[in-house]
Amino acid sequence: MTDLMTPKTPQWWKKSDVKKTFILWIICTAVIGYVGVEFHVRNMVDPASETMSSVISLMRIFTWAAAPVAGLVSAMSLTVLTSKRHYGDNPPAEADHEIRNSPKTAAVWVVVSGLLCLFALVGGLVVLQHDNEAILDSKAIQVNVTGQQWVWNFDYANGARSEDLYLPVDKPVVFHITSVDVKHSFWVVQMGIKMDANPGYITETAVTPNKIGVFDVRCAELCGLLHAYMQTKVHVVSQADYDAWLNAHAAMEAGA
Amino acid sequence: MTTLTQHTSTAPGKSIIEKLNVFTALALGVISAVVVWRLSLAFLPQDGEEVRLFSREDKITLLSMCAWFVGFMTGIGALVGPMRWVMGKDLAHDENMFLAGENMGPKRYFRYTTDHKVVGIQYLFITILIFFLGGGLAMLIRTNLGTPEGGWLHAQAYNSIVGTHGILMIVGTIIMVTGPFGNFIMPIMIGARDMAFPRLNALSFWLIVAAAVPLIWGQFIGGITTGWSAYNPLAGQAPLGMDGYIMYICIFAISTMVAGANITTTVVKMRAKGMTWNRTPIFIYGTVASVALALPAFPVFFLSQVLSAFDRALDTSFYNTAGGGSGWLYENLFWIMGHPEVYVILIPAVAALMEMAPVFTRRPLFSFNIAVLGIAGISGLSVLVWAHHMYISGWAPLLNAPFMLTTELISIPTGMLFLVLIGTLWRGRIWMTMPLMSIFALLWNFMIGGVTGIYLSDVPADAFLHGSMYVTAHFHYTLMGAGLTGALASLVYWFPKMTGRMFDKTLSWIAFWMVQIGFNVAFIGMFMVGLAGQPRRVESYAPTFNTANLVTTIGAYTIMIGMLVLLHGVISSARNGVKAPKNPWQAKTLEWTVDYPIPLENFDVLPVVTTDPYGYGKAKS
Repeated sequence: MTDLMTPKTPQWWKKSDVKKTFILWIICTAVIGYVGVEFHVRNMVDPASETMSSVISLMRIFTWAAAPVAGLVSAMSLTVLTSKRHYGDNPPAEADHEIRNSPKTAAVWVVVSGLLCLFALVGGLVVLQHDNEAILDSKAIQVNVTGQQWVWNFDYANGARSEDLYLPVDKPVVFHITSVDVKHSFWVVQMGIKMDANPGYITETAVTPNKIGVFDVRCAELCGLLHAYMQTKVHVVSQADYDAWLNAHAAMEAGA
Repeated sequence: MTTLTQHTSTAPGKSIIEKLNVFTALALGVISAVVVWRLSLAFLPQDGEEVRLFSREDKITLLSMCAWFVGFMTGIGALVGPMRWVMGKDLAHDENMFLAGENMGPKRYFRYTTDHKVVGIQYLFITILIFFLGGGLAMLIRTNLGTPEGGWLHAQAYNSIVGTHGILMIVGTIIMVTGPFGNFIMPIMIGARDMAFPRLNALSFWLIVAAAVPLIWGQFIGGITTGWSAYNPLAGQAPLGMDGYIMYICIFAISTMVAGANITTTVVKMRAKGMTWNRTPIFIYGTVASVALALPAFPVFFLSQVLSAFDRALDTSFYNTAGGGSGWLYENLFWIMGHPEVYVILIPAVAALMEMAPVFTRRPLFSFNIAVLGIAGISGLSVLVWAHHMYISGWAPLLNAPFMLTTELISIPTGMLFLVLIGTLWRGRIWMTMPLMSIFALLWNFMIGGVTGIYLSDVPADAFLHGSMYVTAHFHYTLMGAGLTGALASLVYWFPKMTGRMFDKTLSWIAFWMVQIGFNVAFIGMFMVGLAGQPRRVESYAPTFNTANLVTTIGAYTIMIGMLVLLHGVISSARNGVKAPKNPWQAKTLEWTVDYPIPLENFDVLPVVTTDPYGYGKAKS
């Protein structure tokens, strides 16, 4: 009858399901963030260039940025699923409220997703800018890459030609990529670079290998019958080994 | 009916409309194709010296396929109405009633029937058939990838299976919600007697049947060896099977445009009295957004394939760089269709689950306005993002940043859809049914699909991930994990209205868990090999990827068993399931106000709507 007789409704953050969701949110965010990052980093190849390292850290950052949102959806889902459930062929009683919207919640949701979106964009642009600058490096080694069904050919400035790619460690290199028949895609897996090889056009990408070793080059665009086998190796070697190899190959080409 | 019997009894023999059905269509289609094939073989001049591979054969194949198409559509009766109209007449009332399938029994499913409920069932049947075929091909792919060295299938056959699986599933998922439920349920839901253009409705369905034959035909003349995207110039050197793909896409694009114009008009003009936009169910918004997006997208797809056919058969150079064209032109045309197209698939599935959410939580839909805004926002942005498929194509590196912006902006309206679903579940009364659990499954799968989409939208990360199995796993998470989940829930939810019987509960649960668990196992494995560096569309791979590929294959087989259980559920429940009451879910949309069997024109008296259909909760009970 009077205000005194109606039980006080607690503030929204004191309601039991909100508290439960809050705790679940923290747990879910931590689990999703950790598992998400580990899943990506453990499965991804060991980086052999700064470009690949920055891809891995981007994925790490994006995963942690997305984890609170994914964690909230998971936490709310878990709270709902663990609340009283109704089984049977007839519907349960109607819910005890008829809330149709909450402008505040919607506004917060949209603003937060907008900020996350902006964050992802800025993060991406910073790395993208860095990658693009590398192409303009005039001191870089220039290698012409030609795709054809179903091999890669690499041409060096001194006339050397090979089907395996040889690169010196810690020296920037710019690839000029084209194709003689159909579209291929030049993917140096461990260096995190990829660029399509288009017939009639030259496209460019750049990288600085920072690890000595043998890495994979694969074609990443369906190019016909033996697409799966269109792969080769990239040998990253010391500057001295590289010079020796280059001169030997140039001499071979000249002799042939 | 009486007028029709009088008409048939007085007329000598049957009228032309009554004679035509799917068998006359098949016969006429085959005869036309064979005749044109023989004629073009006899009369087409030989190619000159300088012409590229296949040119004359391409002409013959394309002409024969066109002849099949015209023959089939004539034979099914698609031209009867237009011909009458050209002669200055129109169909008489009893002819229209005959076309609507009045009192005809099961025969009406094999004719050019205009009743939207018949078309809906026909769409359901062909969707199941497409998933059966496309799923079978997926099993072949996964079996071949169970071991690293491949070789179980010939490389050419493998490539063709990958391409055919892709295009079948794309078409299957485009029609899986708007076809069966958009046609059967939507007009009743808005309180209409039929679609705005019933004959166009029949046309849109039979065009899909007509399109299927060139695709199957293509399998026997070299297959579709280019993947579903059929990039040029690879498509230019692909075998004659490519012409099957081209015809399939062209005919399917017409079907989609026809259906889009029809559904949009129906919703805009034929909603019941009082059904203002505020009172229109959210599923209707989803359907309209989907088909309205298809309206600008599919003409471009049609065009891209016509140019492809010109390049092959007439030796033009639209996509041939040496002759002055560009492969990038094809990529642009293809993805201007291709990106809106994924939302054509996704939006109606999510909207269907939004429609079910209040029913199974007994509370109003949370933030109807935000739901509409989200759907509209996705539709609007989705036409501005296509070049994110071309970040690493080299086409326009300077446009990468703007396309990264538009792509990442889509996460805002997509987030709104999450808000609406999770907000509706919150503090509802949870009624544990397969459609309800599908909402949770969608939230989970779509979250993974969405977050991986953010990695892919980022240009530097995409330079690593593009063209790898990671992308394949990502779009299966969105189209299958989110889209198909919504479609299967729709099937169980609307099954009682479409067949008069309840979907077997146990079977729906078994199918649900097998599909969802199998799906997550399969595609988590695919994410792993993608991250480790396995390219897409390969028939063999490095031995280090074997374990995760095997996991994917096992997951894929689990999905297959789940889908077969579901198929068994459809057949057994439709034949001898429990008879459904008029409104088994106690839902408030209009389709639950009509009795089964639903009369030909749905309503004796057209309903008048006074509230929106989400009046659940305390005050209303």
